[in-house]
Amino acid sequence: MGRFVLRRLLHMAITFFAMITLMFFLFRMLPGDPTATVISPALDADARAAMQARFGLDRPLIEQYFVYLASLARLDFGLSFRTSRPVWELIELRLVNTLLLILPSMIAAYVIGAIGGALMAWYRGGRAEGSLVLAATALQSAPVFWLGMLAILVFSIWLDWFPTGHIVTPGRFPEPSWRMYLTLDFLHHLALPFLVNTLYNLCFPLLLMRSTMLSTIGEDYVELARMKGLRERQVLYGHAMRNSLLPLATTLPMILGWSVAGSVVIETVFSWPGLGLLMIEGITRSDYPVVQGAFLLIAVLTILGTFVADLLYGLLDPRIVYR
Amino acid sequence: MRTPVLEIDRLDLGYATRAGTAAALRDVSLSVAAGESVGIVGESGCGKSTLLKAVMGVMPPNATIETGAIRFMGTDLVTAGPEVWRRARWSGIAMIAQSALNALNPVKRVSAQIAEAIRAHEDWPRDKLRARIVELFEMVGVDPARIDDFPHQFSGGMRQRVLIAMALALRPPVLLADEPTTALDVIVQNQIFRRLDALRKELGFAMLLVTHDLGLVIENCERIVVMYGGMIVEAGPTAQVIGASGHPYTLGLYNALPRLGAGVEPISIPGRPPDLVAPPPGCRFAGRCPFAQPRCTTAPPLNRLGADHVARCHRSDEMAVLRPDARLAETWERGAPVPDTIDTGSIEGI
Repeated sequence: MGRFVLRRLLHMAITFFAMITLMFFLFRMLPGDPTATVISPALDADARAAMQARFGLDRPLIEQYFVYLASLARLDFGLSFRTSRPVWELIELRLVNTLLLILPSMIAAYVIGAIGGALMAWYRGGRAEGSLVLAATALQSAPVFWLGMLAILVFSIWLDWFPTGHIVTPGRFPEPSWRMYLTLDFLHHLALPFLVNTLYNLCFPLLLMRSTMLSTIGEDYVELARMKGLRERQVLYGHAMRNSLLPLATTLPMILGWSVAGSVVIETVFSWPGLGLLMIEGITRSDYPVVQGAFLLIAVLTILGTFVADLLYGLLDPRIVYR
Repeated sequence: MRTPVLEIDRLDLGYATRAGTAAALRDVSLSVAAGESVGIVGESGCGKSTLLKAVMGVMPPNATIETGAIRFMGTDLVTAGPEVWRRARWSGIAMIAQSALNALNPVKRVSAQIAEAIRAHEDWPRDKLRARIVELFEMVGVDPARIDDFPHQFSGGMRQRVLIAMALALRPPVLLADEPTTALDVIVQNQIFRRLDALRKELGFAMLLVTHDLGLVIENCERIVVMYGGMIVEAGPTAQVIGASGHPYTLGLYNALPRLGAGVEPISIPGRPPDLVAPPPGCRFAGRCPFAQPRCTTAPPLNRLGADHVARCHRSDEMAVLRPDARLAETWERGAPVPDTIDTGSIEGI
């Protein structure tokens, strides 16, 4: 197990490295001159050359790449073109905001999806179960931005239960700070995007769990568990559901990736100041260091999620031998 | 006669299917005395596995017990309610499952799987549980150091032994075994049966063995029950059922048994088991029986041939005369008399 974790960590490092490299060159291949927003083409040639030298842009690309790597290692993401402040400073709270939205809703989606799907299979054939399958399939096919807008229309505009967006009431915290997470206002703002994201992510584990359970229920060991005189509840949770969790764990990294990438959409709809929204803001303002930083962190989240899911799978299935 | 621990009384069970109700068990009566070994034989689909599942009370959702009783130590489990039945499972009637490969949960340690069976019925402290599991492993001949292994770490034969250990955990008076060795080679099969026989003599449980292998039953059981198309066609002490069979189907099964060095080729019974949704009227075997007569379209009586020997055939008293014929392959190849000589009705249910 220890050796496996080490090896897996090494793989992760290689993936990080490949991703960073790819991203560095991708950003430099973007059409147009990304530095144009900072170094105005209207300046005379000497002044521009001086500016480029200050940012190190006069040096060969490969040298710039190694400088970039060295800075990253110190968590130095560069300076924002727009605010001239370190990118990391901007990203720090945004990362927390994204995690506070995505992680709880992923956990909720998986827990509710697993239990709900298991129960649907256990009580299969009823009318309620049929409508649930239909509803989940429909919900899964609906675009998440549409769901979000629908939710805003119904719960914010018509019913006026929740705010239409933002993380706290605008103006309440002139400077974003850690204290805002401790307010009820924050939870009030979190509720709607959390619900929409959970509902959207819920469908996949729900339907997968249901179909896995349907085949697990017919397994000999489930019948034997019943023959042993276990109560129905124990047969359901201890055997049928326990064993149906395996495919769910396998798909977790994929869903995690989707969810993190989908945060761009949900954060835009709800004006949620997370990494996704930061990226959109960065792109519209041509603030490339910020976009690159946000990109990087979203990728890091996905890779870390995959790693955790891999370990989890090993814990769930003893037949998996770590080598 | 010894007192029965398990008594199945005129049991009728049906499966709801799209085509209608399949009469999977009809008028099945069987009693198992304490410490006795009874073998149930028949082809696939004759209802033998259904019968065991019914006794365990774990029938599939589309199965219904229509009439009849399943009495364990005098209590009818069918009418006593699910909780009484649940308590009787494993502590009273345990089961050695058919497939050693799939009957153990792959993600749980075998000790945990045995422990949960015990804890479903009794509240034992942890060290007593573990001591019992070690004792059970020794009993079935598996290294007790391996109680905390996972199922995939055992070989097929060892897994079967683990299943036997699990079945004996609560010292049940009745042990059901559904084809317990089908997945194993003959040598391991033999070891398992010798071990089971020794354990039965030592612990005194009654065993109900279900198999399609008549040879296995002849070697291991004091009594034989032959099933065909959801009904018991013949039942009695092994020596009598084999030596003085009262039903053509029993004779056919015996013919189909391969024998080494006897110079006799096994003879198979042509045809297929009857359609249980629309079973033929009268005798369910008539459509494949070379000795069928016009009266076989009416339900045959359960004839008493000896103190404990019964057969469900119109011609069971003529068997002594028919037996030499029944040993010939030609008789079986000829099959049932053609329908214009006798009216067999909707045989095969077409």
